[in-house]
Amino acid sequence: MEDRIQLGHGSGGIMTKELLDELIFEAFSNPYLDKKHDGSVVKLNGKMAISTDSFVVSPIFFKGGNIGDLAINGTVNDVAMCGAIPKFLTLSFIIEEGLLMEDFKRIIQSIKQAAALCKVEIITGDTKVVERGKGDKIFINTTGFGPMHSKADISIDRIKEGDKIIINGNIAQHGIAIMSQREGLTFESEIESDTTHLHELVEDLLDAFGEKIKLFRDPTRGGVASVLSEISGETSLGITLKENKLPIDKQVKAVCELLGLDPLYVANEGLFLAIVDPEIESAVLTLLRSKSKGKNSQTIGEFTKDHPHKVVMNSVIGGKRIVTPLLGEQLPRIC
Amino acid sequence: MTFEISFSGQVQGVGFRPFVFNLAKKHGLKGFVSNNENGVIIQATGCDNLVHQFYQEIILKPPPLALIKDQSIKQIPDFNFDSFKILKSSKSEKLNLPLTPDFAICKDCQSELLDQNNKRFNYPFTTCVNCGPRWSVTKNFPFDRANTTLAEKVMCENCTAEYEAPSNRRFHSQTNTCSDCGFQLCLADTNGEILSTNVSNIFTEIGQVILDGAILALKNTSGFLLCCDARNKEAIQNLRKRKRRPNKPFAILYPSLTLVKEHFKICDEEEQLLGNSVSPVVILSHLKSKNDLLLNHIAPGLKQIGVMLPYTGILKLLSETLQIPLVATSGNIHGSPILSENGVAFGELIGVADFFLVHDLNIFNPQDDSVIKYSSKNKQKIIFRRSRGLAPSYFGFKEKSKKTILALGAHLKSTIAFLPNDHIYVSQYLGNLDHFEVYQRFTKTTSYFLELFEQRPELLLIDAHPAYQSSLFGKELSKKFNSHLIKVQHHIAHFASVLGEHTLFDHDRVLGVVWDGTGFGSDAQIWGGEFFLYENKEIERVGHFEYFNWLAGDKMSLEPRLSLLSLADETMSDLLATKFTNEELKLYHVILKKNQLKTSSVGRLFDAVASLLGICDLNSYVGEAAILLENNIVSLDFDKEEFYPFKKNSKNISPKLIIKSIFKDLQKGISQEKILSKFMFTLAKIIFYMAEKQKVKEIALSGGVFQNASLVDLLIDLKGKEYNLYFNESFSPNDENISFGQMMYALHIEKLGS
Ligand SMILES: [Fe+3]
Ligand SMILES: [Mg+2]
Ligand SMILES: [Zn+2]
Ligand SMILES: [Zn+2]
Repeated sequence: MEDRIQLGHGSGGIMTKELLDELIFEAFSNPYLDKKHDGSVVKLNGKMAISTDSFVVSPIFFKGGNIGDLAINGTVNDVAMCGAIPKFLTLSFIIEEGLLMEDFKRIIQSIKQAAALCKVEIITGDTKVVERGKGDKIFINTTGFGPMHSKADISIDRIKEGDKIIINGNIAQHGIAIMSQREGLTFESEIESDTTHLHELVEDLLDAFGEKIKLFRDPTRGGVASVLSEISGETSLGITLKENKLPIDKQVKAVCELLGLDPLYVANEGLFLAIVDPEIESAVLTLLRSKSKGKNSQTIGEFTKDHPHKVVMNSVIGGKRIVTPLLGEQLPRIC
Repeated sequence: MTFEISFSGQVQGVGFRPFVFNLAKKHGLKGFVSNNENGVIIQATGCDNLVHQFYQEIILKPPPLALIKDQSIKQIPDFNFDSFKILKSSKSEKLNLPLTPDFAICKDCQSELLDQNNKRFNYPFTTCVNCGPRWSVTKNFPFDRANTTLAEKVMCENCTAEYEAPSNRRFHSQTNTCSDCGFQLCLADTNGEILSTNVSNIFTEIGQVILDGAILALKNTSGFLLCCDARNKEAIQNLRKRKRRPNKPFAILYPSLTLVKEHFKICDEEEQLLGNSVSPVVILSHLKSKNDLLLNHIAPGLKQIGVMLPYTGILKLLSETLQIPLVATSGNIHGSPILSENGVAFGELIGVADFFLVHDLNIFNPQDDSVIKYSSKNKQKIIFRRSRGLAPSYFGFKEKSKKTILALGAHLKSTIAFLPNDHIYVSQYLGNLDHFEVYQRFTKTTSYFLELFEQRPELLLIDAHPAYQSSLFGKELSKKFNSHLIKVQHHIAHFASVLGEHTLFDHDRVLGVVWDGTGFGSDAQIWGGEFFLYENKEIERVGHFEYFNWLAGDKMSLEPRLSLLSLADETMSDLLATKFTNEELKLYHVILKKNQLKTSSVGRLFDAVASLLGICDLNSYVGEAAILLENNIVSLDFDKEEFYPFKKNSKNISPKLIIKSIFKDLQKGISQEKILSKFMFTLAKIIFYMAEKQKVKEIALSGGVFQNASLVDLLIDLKGKEYNLYFNESFSPNDENISFGQMMYALHIEKLGS
């Protein structure tokens, strides 16, 4: 096979067939895909959740992962955040002419591994190639779906004053890992992306606590600050955050300080926020902390009637700071 | 014949009605005087001549605190009054008069306070028609006791008698109380345990603990202050540590003008300011010979400090007992607004103060002390903070607007401006809106203004910065009130504030020089070194400092060395290596190469110079580098008038060239004094160069950089007969003027008032 992706690989002709057969069908072989039809027919009972996401990231390979497993984990997590168990995925590539075949193979392998770990099956997909300069190496779109967890009652309307906000791990890992690699920044030790799938943790929580869990959200783009602002904007409540409870890796924190970045706004890929009834707070923490993906779990805040639609953080240096949603880049406000 | 006379302006809460009453009696007129929603209304029956003479006398010699803005007289159908009376206030329409600011305690009340034989001996809440709190206790209008927080106390027989006696200084004094019927001081420890309530010895006890080095939280009539012995190093260091304020200068309360004069160089203007009805903190130059003041602890690295005299009975009694200079700083911690409620203060200041001096007079509109400075040579007034004694009315506004306009100002030094009627109201300094408590005070003040004037804002003005809390709040309000929302560019608002203050909108062409730290530009870059031209009733950006990289978000404003890094060239790498670790340098160089956000900020140029000269690499408070830089200016060399080259075959000013030239001087071993002189001359030359290029004679200057009194003095020295300079005088040049500037912009440039 050629050592780079060529326009012909997206032509729909023999080169395309070759690419699909040798790489994609080979990697993801399953009864649905093996039919090599334009679509797949699946059988589902009851309610299901569906979510779609497009992945564009530069660099495509980064510490802790690559665009391939990111595309699987991201969509799997989005389905899980609905309180569902992801089962199936669609997978589409838009590839820029000239991508190293070697790189594409690596991405396919990561996708395969991630999908296996997530126990999801890829049931249909698409591959297009665009001219050089019309893309950025590779873009991936995935759509995932699966049945709702039987005990889930996820709804923003159910959030009440006093409900706790629990996070499962250290913030700002992914964004800082990507940025430092993109900008060629080097640090004492490598900072790794936290990309991972979270649906097993979600499932465990729903098994144990059911409707006592009001909401799951993953604080990806825009970070914890943006997601919480969004949630409080959609309820009639405000949120109080405790800065000293925010779990963050020392080195990530130092990098944020150096760059003048607020870690609350930095993207995460392996985190979720669970909004839970206060009575299960400590049980949730115990359960999460017993798992490797939840060992740094913390209650970072709670809902309050005091300041509707506002996220307010009790800061470490004293006083209360308003946390606004991210608006474009972090513009300076100080004189 | 009967006439109806009305006055508007600052005519309520200043003893206007009793004054009119006595004057009418003197002339034998009959009728009445009353407060109403527009000011003061008089009906007087008497012969034509006499009434007119009476009218003229009021205009020519009104009560000392009154400011008459408008007056009228007209004949009305004859009416037979049986005497002259002060009638109860009436308010039939919406409020349309200025709001009266707080007044410092007057001389008469001060002497009564200290007179053993006087009924008000040692009574800290002594006031009269000529003094006392007004805006801080105002809940509603007109200014009658029932509409203030003093309504909680009922005047005793004695006070009522004074209130009713035309010859008494307290005739119709709304704030009249005495120890029998008034407010109660109380000294408590941090557990809230009451130590003393007895006015005859409470100050002696307080004096003792202060002399022992304690920190006192003192509730004044406009908010809490934190006080300690200004001669006690440990006490000051304690206060710094507990307030988390390592270097920011403190203001000092002096017991007397005599002592101020012993410690400071003071001119007539400053003396007048210290003792007038505003009694602000005045920034004075310390006399070197006086070493008993711990200047280096009170204002680290500075030769100037803020000084004030006792402006309330409480401060007077405390100072009188102690006779020493006291640190007196706003009672809050780390960016929170000045505290004003006993319960909240106990909670917040528990780890800061050792003792609490509180009382039961409620403060409705808390205010910090105003801070004012005069440039040392040309005595140009520079307001650093416009608050107690100055807020909320602005008296320079003469036009009329058909629309109710609310301007929400900036973010870091927030204020709001409101135009509900014939007057403009600009709130006291409210603080940094990052802090939730400040934001709450900001939104509360906004709703209070809207309720007080019973108006809906038809037009809402906000800064163009998308992340200012004031802008975000403005968007919410515009939805709520269905008001038209307009974004005003930050530096254009600064420019419009000076144009408005000096009524320059009628001029043909005015150059605007707006230099500050940061503001959101219309090209989405960070502006701060701007030149505008006001011409044909429009404002155009005609020049700016060349853009340089902005890096590391808000951190750049806190670390002057980052400004230097951004402006430096390769030749300065050795110097930079002394200011950063290798790791930092590597990192920042990578970012600088890829940086997108750019700035034209002169504030950051000041930072870079401060870092280059080794004056300040890291700020411990906002603006520290610029303040220290000014403080290091020893003298300006008028013989040579040397300056640095500032443009490189381009129309814009090159800050990099200035930095490069300063660095060369530094390498040649030229002294810091000389370099600073050249830097100041460079900035001045840049301004006159732009004026010449634009062929403009009128120059309006605004932005935080013009808090630098040396630069202001130099510009005045150099302007000659050719140029007219206009500075902010009623407002601070810093972002406190943005709300007012937004208002002026909307009225005069966008013409939205008609
Ligand atoms: Fe500004
Ligand atoms: Mg997503
Ligand atoms: Zn008085
Ligand atoms: Zn009394």
